[in-house]
Amino acid sequence: MIRWFILTAVLPALAALLKHQDDGDLVDRLKRRDPQALSELYDRYGRLTYSVILRVVHNEGVAEDLVQETFLRIWNRAAAFDQTRGALGPWILTVARNRAIDYLRSVEGRASESIFQIDKLEHPALFCDLESGILNLDRVRVVQAAMSKLNANQRMVIELAYFEGLSQTEMSERLKQPLGTVKSWVRGALKTLRDEIGEAVVVA
Amino acid sequence: MTHEEMSELYELYALGVLEPVERAEIDQHIADGCKSCTAAVKRASVTNAIVMSFAADAEPPKRLKRRILAAIGVESRNLSWLVWAGASAALLVGLLWFSVESRQKSEELAAARAVLDIVNSPETRAVSFGAGPHGNVFVNPSSGVLLIATNLPKLEPGKTFEMWVIPKGGAPRPAGLFKTDANGKASHVLPGAIDLSTTGAVAVTVEPDAGSQAPTSTPIIVAPLAGS
Repeated sequence: MIRWFILTAVLPALAALLKHQDDGDLVDRLKRRDPQALSELYDRYGRLTYSVILRVVHNEGVAEDLVQETFLRIWNRAAAFDQTRGALGPWILTVARNRAIDYLRSVEGRASESIFQIDKLEHPALFCDLESGILNLDRVRVVQAAMSKLNANQRMVIELAYFEGLSQTEMSERLKQPLGTVKSWVRGALKTLRDEIGEAVVVA
Repeated sequence: MTHEEMSELYELYALGVLEPVERAEIDQHIADGCKSCTAAVKRASVTNAIVMSFAADAEPPKRLKRRILAAIGVESRNLSWLVWAGASAALLVGLLWFSVESRQKSEELAAARAVLDIVNSPETRAVSFGAGPHGNVFVNPSSGVLLIATNLPKLEPGKTFEMWVIPKGGAPRPAGLFKTDANGKASHVLPGAIDLSTTGAVAVTVEPDAGSQAPTSTPIIVAPLAGS
Protein backbone atom coordinates (compact mmCIF):
# COMPACT_ATOMS: atom_id res chain seq x y z
CA MET A 1 0.00 0.00 0.00
CA ILE A 2 1.28 3.42 -0.88
CA ARG A 3 1.07 6.22 1.63
CA TRP A 4 1.30 9.68 0.26
CA PHE A 5 3.19 12.55 1.72
CA ILE A 6 0.95 14.81 3.65
CA LEU A 7 2.27 18.26 2.95
CA THR A 8 0.47 19.78 5.88
CA ALA A 9 2.41 17.50 8.21
CA VAL A 10 5.71 18.94 7.07
CA LEU A 11 6.00 21.97 9.29
CA PRO A 12 6.15 20.46 12.79
CA ALA A 13 8.69 17.84 11.76
CA LEU A 14 10.95 20.23 9.95
CA ALA A 15 10.62 22.72 12.73
CA ALA A 16 12.34 20.20 14.98
CA LEU A 17 15.26 20.03 12.58
CA LEU A 18 15.45 23.77 12.24
CA LYS A 19 14.99 24.72 15.85
CA HIS A 20 18.34 23.36 16.89
CA GLN A 21 20.90 24.44 14.39
CA ASP A 22 23.22 25.20 17.22
CA ASP A 23 23.97 21.69 18.42
CA GLY A 24 27.72 22.31 18.84
CA ASP A 25 27.71 22.45 22.63
CA LEU A 26 25.46 19.41 22.82
CA VAL A 27 27.77 17.39 20.54
CA ASP A 28 30.73 18.45 22.62
CA ARG A 29 29.08 17.06 25.75
CA LEU A 30 27.98 13.89 23.94
CA LYS A 31 31.58 13.31 22.94
CA ARG A 32 32.54 13.59 26.60
CA ARG A 33 29.79 11.07 27.37
CA ASP A 34 27.79 13.40 29.57
CA PRO A 35 24.55 11.48 30.22
CA GLN A 36 22.58 14.71 30.56
CA ALA A 37 23.53 15.47 26.95
CA LEU A 38 21.78 12.31 25.78
CA SER A 39 18.70 13.42 27.68
CA GLU A 40 18.76 16.78 25.89
CA LEU A 41 19.44 15.11 22.57
CA TYR A 42 16.31 13.05 23.05
CA ASP A 43 14.32 16.17 23.94
CA ARG A 44 15.44 17.76 20.67
CA TYR A 45 15.20 14.86 18.27
CA GLY A 46 13.27 12.06 19.98
CA ARG A 47 9.90 12.98 18.53
CA LEU A 48 11.19 13.48 15.00
CA THR A 49 13.18 10.23 15.18
CA TYR A 50 10.11 8.34 16.41
CA SER A 51 7.98 9.88 13.64
CA VAL A 52 10.39 8.83 10.89
CA ILE A 53 10.79 5.30 12.24
CA LEU A 54 7.06 4.81 12.83
CA ARG A 55 6.44 5.95 9.27
CA VAL A 56 8.63 3.10 8.04
CA VAL A 57 7.67 0.25 10.38
CA HIS A 58 4.02 1.12 11.18
CA ASN A 59 4.25 -0.55 14.58
CA GLU A 60 4.56 1.50 17.76
CA GLY A 61 6.31 -1.15 19.84
CA VAL A 62 8.88 -1.84 17.14
CA ALA A 63 9.36 1.90 16.64
CA GLU A 64 10.18 2.33 20.33
CA ASP A 65 12.82 -0.38 20.17
CA LEU A 66 14.39 1.15 17.07
CA VAL A 67 14.39 4.68 18.51
CA GLN A 68 16.29 3.29 21.49
CA GLU A 69 18.74 1.55 19.17
CA THR A 70 19.19 4.79 17.24
CA PHE A 71 19.99 6.91 20.27
CA LEU A 72 22.36 4.31 21.70
CA ARG A 73 24.17 4.19 18.38
CA ILE A 74 24.49 7.97 18.33
CA TRP A 75 25.68 7.87 21.95
CA ASN A 76 28.33 5.30 21.12
CA ARG A 77 29.56 6.96 17.95
CA ALA A 78 29.39 10.64 18.86
CA ALA A 79 33.15 10.72 19.41
CA ALA A 80 33.67 10.70 15.64
CA PHE A 81 31.33 13.64 15.06
CA ASP A 82 32.68 17.12 14.34
CA GLN A 83 30.77 19.43 16.63
CA THR A 84 31.54 22.67 14.87
CA ARG A 85 30.41 21.97 11.35
CA GLY A 86 28.27 18.90 11.63
CA ALA A 87 24.56 18.47 10.98
CA LEU A 88 23.44 16.44 13.98
CA GLY A 89 19.76 16.21 13.05
CA PRO A 90 20.34 14.76 9.57
CA TRP A 91 22.83 12.29 11.02
CA ILE A 92 20.32 11.05 13.61
CA LEU A 93 17.56 10.76 11.00
CA THR A 94 19.87 8.78 8.72
CA VAL A 95 20.76 6.37 11.50
CA ALA A 96 17.06 6.10 12.41
CA ARG A 97 15.99 5.37 8.86
CA ASN A 98 18.69 2.75 8.41
CA ARG A 99 17.54 0.94 11.56
CA ALA A 100 13.93 1.05 10.37
CA ILE A 101 14.64 -0.05 6.79
CA ASP A 102 16.88 -2.82 8.04
CA TYR A 103 14.01 -4.05 10.22
CA LEU A 104 11.53 -3.80 7.34
CA ARG A 105 13.80 -5.74 5.03
CA SER A 106 14.31 -8.49 7.58
CA VAL A 107 10.57 -9.00 8.25
CA GLU A 108 9.79 -8.89 4.54
CA GLY A 109 12.52 -11.42 3.82
CA ARG A 110 14.47 -9.01 1.64
CA ALA A 111 18.25 -9.04 1.63
CA SER A 112 19.76 -6.77 4.25
CA GLU A 113 22.49 -4.26 3.61
CA SER A 114 25.84 -5.43 4.96
CA ILE A 115 26.96 -3.96 8.27
CA PHE A 116 29.95 -2.54 6.46
CA GLN A 117 27.71 -0.78 3.95
CA ILE A 118 25.35 0.63 6.59
CA ASP A 119 28.30 1.92 8.59
CA LYS A 120 29.49 3.77 5.54
CA LEU A 121 26.09 5.35 4.83
CA GLU A 122 25.75 6.74 8.33
CA HIS A 123 29.36 7.52 9.08
CA PRO A 124 29.58 10.72 11.15
CA ALA A 125 32.06 12.19 8.69
CA LEU A 126 29.32 12.26 6.02
CA PHE A 127 27.45 14.82 8.12
CA CYS A 128 30.42 16.96 9.02
CA ASP A 129 32.29 19.75 7.25
CA LEU A 130 29.04 21.26 6.12
CA GLU A 131 28.22 24.91 6.27
CA SER A 132 26.72 25.81 9.63
CA GLY A 133 23.48 27.18 8.28
CA ILE A 134 22.78 24.04 6.31
CA LEU A 135 19.28 23.85 7.67
CA ASN A 136 17.54 27.16 7.64
CA LEU A 137 14.01 28.45 7.61
CA ASP A 138 14.07 29.22 3.90
CA ARG A 139 14.47 25.55 3.25
CA VAL A 140 11.08 24.78 4.77
CA ARG A 141 9.47 26.59 1.88
CA VAL A 142 11.99 25.12 -0.54
CA VAL A 143 11.15 21.59 0.56
CA GLN A 144 7.44 22.21 0.42
CA ALA A 145 7.80 23.71 -3.03
CA ALA A 146 9.92 20.81 -4.24
CA MET A 147 7.51 18.18 -2.95
CA SER A 148 4.51 19.92 -4.42
CA LYS A 149 6.19 19.92 -7.84
CA LEU A 150 6.36 16.13 -7.96
CA ASN A 151 3.64 14.32 -9.85
CA ALA A 152 1.84 11.29 -8.40
CA ASN A 153 4.23 8.72 -9.88
CA GLN A 154 7.26 10.67 -8.74
CA ARG A 155 5.92 10.95 -5.20
CA MET A 156 5.20 7.24 -5.20
CA VAL A 157 8.75 6.21 -6.10
CA ILE A 158 10.24 8.69 -3.62
CA GLU A 159 8.02 7.17 -0.97
CA LEU A 160 9.18 3.66 -1.89
CA ALA A 161 12.86 4.59 -1.88
CA TYR A 162 12.87 6.67 1.33
CA PHE A 163 10.32 4.94 3.54
CA GLU A 164 10.35 1.38 2.23
CA GLY A 165 13.96 1.10 1.12
CA LEU A 166 13.17 -0.36 -2.29
CA SER A 167 15.71 -0.40 -5.12
CA GLN A 168 14.52 0.60 -8.57
CA THR A 169 14.33 -3.07 -9.59
CA GLU A 170 12.20 -3.84 -6.53
CA MET A 171 9.95 -0.87 -7.32
CA SER A 172 9.48 -2.11 -10.85
CA GLU A 173 8.36 -5.50 -9.49
CA ARG A 174 6.13 -3.99 -6.83
CA LEU A 175 4.47 -1.53 -9.21
CA LYS A 176 4.45 -3.93 -12.16
CA GLN A 177 6.00 -1.25 -14.34
CA PRO A 178 8.96 -1.58 -16.72
CA LEU A 179 12.30 -0.80 -15.05
CA GLY A 180 12.92 1.98 -17.56
CA THR A 181 9.66 3.70 -16.61
CA VAL A 182 10.45 3.49 -12.91
CA LYS A 183 13.93 4.85 -13.50
CA SER A 184 12.59 7.85 -15.37
CA TRP A 185 10.16 8.63 -12.53
CA VAL A 186 12.97 8.36 -9.99
CA ARG A 187 15.33 10.46 -12.09
CA GLY A 188 12.73 13.19 -12.54
CA ALA A 189 11.77 13.23 -8.85
CA LEU A 190 15.36 13.34 -7.62
CA LYS A 191 16.27 16.07 -10.08
CA THR A 192 13.45 18.23 -8.77
CA LEU A 193 14.47 17.58 -5.14
CA ARG A 194 18.14 18.11 -5.92
CA ASP A 195 17.54 21.30 -7.83
CA GLU A 196 15.29 22.75 -5.18
CA ILE A 197 16.91 21.44 -2.01
CA GLY A 198 20.33 20.09 -2.82
CA GLU A 199 21.75 23.19 -4.42
CA ALA A 200 20.96 25.11 -1.29
CA VAL A 201 22.99 22.63 0.76
CA VAL A 202 26.47 24.05 0.54
CA VAL A 203 29.30 21.67 1.20
CA ALA A 204 32.49 23.23 2.49
CA MET B 1 28.81 5.25 -15.90
CA THR B 2 29.90 8.72 -16.72
CA HIS B 3 30.48 11.27 -13.98
CA GLU B 4 27.23 12.89 -15.06
CA GLU B 5 25.24 9.65 -14.78
CA MET B 6 26.64 8.98 -11.33
CA SER B 7 25.63 12.40 -10.10
CA GLU B 8 22.01 11.45 -10.69
CA LEU B 9 22.28 8.50 -8.29
CA TYR B 10 23.78 10.01 -5.15
CA GLU B 11 20.51 10.22 -3.21
CA LEU B 12 19.79 6.55 -3.93
CA TYR B 13 23.41 5.73 -3.09
CA ALA B 14 23.11 7.51 0.26
CA LEU B 15 19.81 5.72 0.94
CA GLY B 16 21.46 2.37 0.29
CA VAL B 17 18.95 1.37 -2.40
CA LEU B 18 21.24 1.20 -5.44
CA GLU B 19 21.85 -2.08 -7.25
CA PRO B 20 25.17 -3.63 -6.14
CA VAL B 21 26.84 -3.01 -9.50
CA GLU B 22 26.02 0.71 -9.55
CA ARG B 23 26.98 1.07 -5.93
CA ALA B 24 30.33 -0.60 -6.46
CA GLU B 25 31.07 1.76 -9.32
CA ILE B 26 30.35 4.84 -7.21
CA ASP B 27 32.33 3.40 -4.29
CA GLN B 28 35.30 2.96 -6.59
CA HIS B 29 34.92 6.46 -8.04
CA ILE B 30 34.92 8.00 -4.56
CA ALA B 31 37.79 5.79 -3.43
CA ASP B 32 39.73 7.11 -6.41
CA GLY B 33 39.47 10.51 -4.78
CA CYS B 34 36.79 12.41 -6.72
CA LYS B 35 36.35 15.48 -4.49
CA SER B 36 33.20 16.77 -6.13
CA CYS B 37 31.48 13.40 -5.79
CA THR B 38 32.41 13.13 -2.11
CA ALA B 39 30.85 16.53 -1.55
CA ALA B 40 27.80 15.56 -3.60
CA VAL B 41 27.22 12.45 -1.48
CA LYS B 42 27.27 14.58 1.66
CA ARG B 43 24.82 16.97 0.09
CA ALA B 44 22.60 14.05 -0.93
CA SER B 45 22.70 12.65 2.62
CA VAL B 46 21.45 15.91 4.07
CA THR B 47 18.85 16.27 1.32
CA ASN B 48 17.61 12.79 2.16
CA ALA B 49 17.28 13.69 5.84
CA ILE B 50 15.21 16.74 4.97
CA VAL B 51 12.90 14.63 2.83
CA MET B 52 12.56 12.08 5.63
CA SER B 53 11.46 14.77 8.03
CA PHE B 54 8.29 14.82 5.92
CA ALA B 55 7.11 11.82 7.92
CA ALA B 56 3.81 12.51 9.65
CA ASP B 57 4.37 13.85 13.14
CA ALA B 58 3.85 11.22 15.86
CA GLU B 59 4.32 11.48 19.60
CA PRO B 60 6.43 8.80 21.29
CA PRO B 61 5.26 7.45 24.67
CA LYS B 62 6.74 9.18 27.72
CA ARG B 63 8.41 5.99 28.94
CA LEU B 64 10.70 5.87 25.90
CA LYS B 65 13.04 8.56 27.18
CA ARG B 66 13.36 6.87 30.59
CA ARG B 67 14.08 3.60 28.81
CA ILE B 68 16.84 5.07 26.67
CA LEU B 69 18.50 6.81 29.61
CA ALA B 70 18.24 3.65 31.71
CA ALA B 71 20.03 1.79 28.90
CA ILE B 72 23.13 3.96 29.45
CA GLY B 73 22.82 3.54 33.21
CA VAL B 74 21.18 6.85 34.04
CA GLU B 75 18.35 6.74 36.53
CA SER B 76 15.45 9.10 36.30
CA ARG B 77 16.09 12.54 37.75
CA ASN B 78 13.14 11.95 40.07
CA LEU B 79 15.30 10.07 42.51
CA SER B 80 12.82 9.94 45.36
CA TRP B 81 10.31 8.23 43.09
CA LEU B 82 12.89 5.60 42.26
CA VAL B 83 13.85 5.06 45.88
CA TRP B 84 10.21 4.50 46.71
CA ALA B 85 9.70 2.20 43.76
CA GLY B 86 12.83 0.22 44.55
CA ALA B 87 11.94 -0.06 48.21
CA SER B 88 8.41 -1.11 47.40
CA ALA B 89 9.56 -3.79 44.97
CA ALA B 90 12.02 -5.19 47.51
CA LEU B 91 9.42 -5.09 50.23
CA LEU B 92 6.85 -6.72 48.04
CA VAL B 93 9.14 -9.64 47.36
CA GLY B 94 10.06 -9.94 51.02
CA LEU B 95 6.49 -9.69 52.12
CA LEU B 96 5.20 -12.24 49.65
CA TRP B 97 7.92 -14.67 50.62
CA PHE B 98 7.27 -14.14 54.28
CA SER B 99 3.54 -14.48 53.84
CA VAL B 100 3.57 -17.85 52.18
CA GLU B 101 3.90 -19.77 55.43
CA SER B 102 1.11 -18.24 57.37
CA ARG B 103 -1.40 -16.44 55.19
CA GLN B 104 -4.12 -17.10 52.67
CA LYS B 105 -3.62 -16.04 49.07
CA SER B 106 -6.18 -13.24 49.18
CA GLU B 107 -4.64 -11.84 52.33
CA GLU B 108 -1.22 -11.88 50.71
CA LEU B 109 -2.49 -9.94 47.77
CA ALA B 110 -4.28 -7.42 49.96
CA ALA B 111 -1.16 -7.00 52.05
CA ALA B 112 1.04 -6.64 48.99
CA ARG B 113 -1.30 -4.03 47.62
CA ALA B 114 -1.28 -2.22 50.93
CA VAL B 115 2.53 -2.21 50.96
CA LEU B 116 2.62 -0.65 47.52
CA ASP B 117 0.00 1.90 48.50
CA ILE B 118 1.84 2.81 51.64
CA VAL B 119 5.31 3.04 50.16
CA ASN B 120 4.32 4.82 46.97
CA SER B 121 2.17 7.50 48.51
CA PRO B 122 3.50 11.01 49.12
CA GLU B 123 1.18 11.15 52.16
CA THR B 124 3.23 8.51 53.92
CA ARG B 125 5.19 9.43 57.01
CA ALA B 126 8.38 7.42 57.60
CA VAL B 127 9.87 6.99 61.07
CA SER B 128 13.07 5.13 61.81
CA PHE B 129 13.67 3.46 65.13
CA GLY B 130 16.01 1.44 67.28
CA ALA B 131 19.62 0.58 67.92
CA GLY B 132 19.31 -3.14 68.65
CA PRO B 133 16.27 -4.12 66.63
CA HIS B 134 16.08 -1.30 64.12
CA GLY B 135 14.22 -0.32 60.98
CA ASN B 136 11.41 1.87 59.72
CA VAL B 137 7.73 2.36 60.23
CA PHE B 138 5.72 3.81 57.35
CA VAL B 139 2.33 5.19 58.20
CA ASN B 140 -0.18 6.24 55.58
CA PRO B 141 -3.52 7.79 56.61
CA SER B 142 -5.57 5.86 54.07
CA SER B 143 -3.53 2.67 53.50
CA GLY B 144 -2.18 1.65 56.90
CA VAL B 145 1.05 0.89 58.69
CA LEU B 146 4.11 -0.91 57.35
CA LEU B 147 6.88 -2.08 59.65
CA ILE B 148 10.30 -3.20 58.44
CA ALA B 149 12.70 -4.39 61.09
CA THR B 150 16.08 -6.06 61.22
CA ASN B 151 18.17 -7.54 64.02
CA LEU B 152 15.12 -8.82 65.86
CA PRO B 153 15.82 -11.31 68.68
CA LYS B 154 15.36 -15.02 68.16
CA LEU B 155 11.97 -16.11 69.46
CA GLU B 156 11.57 -18.89 72.01
CA PRO B 157 9.25 -21.70 70.90
CA GLY B 158 5.58 -20.79 71.33
CA LYS B 159 6.22 -17.05 71.00
CA THR B 160 5.50 -14.51 68.29
CA PHE B 161 6.03 -10.83 67.60
CA GLU B 162 2.99 -8.62 67.85
CA MET B 163 2.70 -5.08 66.52
CA TRP B 164 0.70 -2.42 68.34
CA VAL B 165 -0.72 0.89 67.31
CA ILE B 166 -0.79 3.17 70.33
CA PRO B 167 -3.28 6.06 70.30
CA LYS B 168 -2.25 9.25 72.09
CA GLY B 169 -3.17 8.78 75.72
CA GLY B 170 -4.88 5.46 74.97
CA ALA B 171 -4.29 1.74 75.33
CA PRO B 172 -2.28 -0.13 72.64
CA ARG B 173 -4.44 -1.75 69.97
CA PRO B 174 -3.39 -5.12 68.48
CA ALA B 175 -1.97 -4.62 64.97
CA GLY B 176 -1.12 -8.14 63.89
CA LEU B 177 1.33 -11.00 64.50
CA PHE B 178 4.53 -11.69 62.59
CA LYS B 179 7.74 -13.70 62.69
CA THR B 180 11.22 -13.10 61.34
CA ASP B 181 13.18 -14.84 58.66
CA ALA B 182 16.30 -16.83 59.58
CA ASN B 183 18.34 -13.61 59.69
CA GLY B 184 16.15 -11.79 62.16
CA LYS B 185 14.45 -9.64 59.53
CA ALA B 186 10.73 -9.03 59.22
CA SER B 187 8.19 -6.89 57.46
CA HIS B 188 4.64 -6.58 58.62
CA VAL B 189 1.70 -4.58 57.38
CA LEU B 190 -1.54 -3.44 58.98
CA PRO B 191 -3.83 -2.47 56.13
CA GLY B 192 -6.59 0.08 56.59
CA ALA B 193 -7.11 3.75 57.36
CA ILE B 194 -5.34 5.24 60.34
CA ASP B 195 -5.72 8.67 61.91
CA LEU B 196 -2.24 10.17 62.17
CA SER B 197 -3.40 13.00 64.40
CA THR B 198 -4.58 10.66 67.16
CA THR B 199 -1.83 8.04 66.83
CA GLY B 200 1.15 8.40 69.15
CA ALA B 201 3.39 5.45 68.33
CA VAL B 202 3.84 2.04 66.79
CA ALA B 203 5.36 -0.67 69.00
CA VAL B 204 6.33 -4.34 68.95
CA THR B 205 6.32 -6.86 71.81
CA VAL B 206 6.96 -10.58 72.14
CA GLU B 207 3.69 -12.42 72.87
CA PRO B 208 2.40 -15.99 73.18
CA ASP B 209 1.82 -17.68 69.81
CA ALA B 210 -1.90 -16.90 69.71
CA GLY B 211 -1.28 -13.21 70.25
CA SER B 212 -2.62 -10.94 72.97
CA GLN B 213 -5.31 -8.29 73.24
CA ALA B 214 -2.97 -6.15 75.38
CA PRO B 215 0.85 -6.25 75.61
CA THR B 216 2.19 -8.76 78.15
CA SER B 217 5.87 -7.80 77.84
CA THR B 218 8.11 -4.75 77.53
CA PRO B 219 8.22 -3.45 73.93
CA ILE B 220 11.37 -4.28 71.98
CA ILE B 221 10.48 -1.58 69.42
CA VAL B 222 8.83 1.78 70.00
CA ALA B 223 8.48 4.17 67.08
CA PRO B 224 6.92 7.48 68.15
CA LEU B 225 5.23 9.32 65.26
CA ALA B 226 7.04 12.61 65.66
CA GLY B 227 4.94 15.72 65.22
CA SER B 228 1.67 13.88 65.48
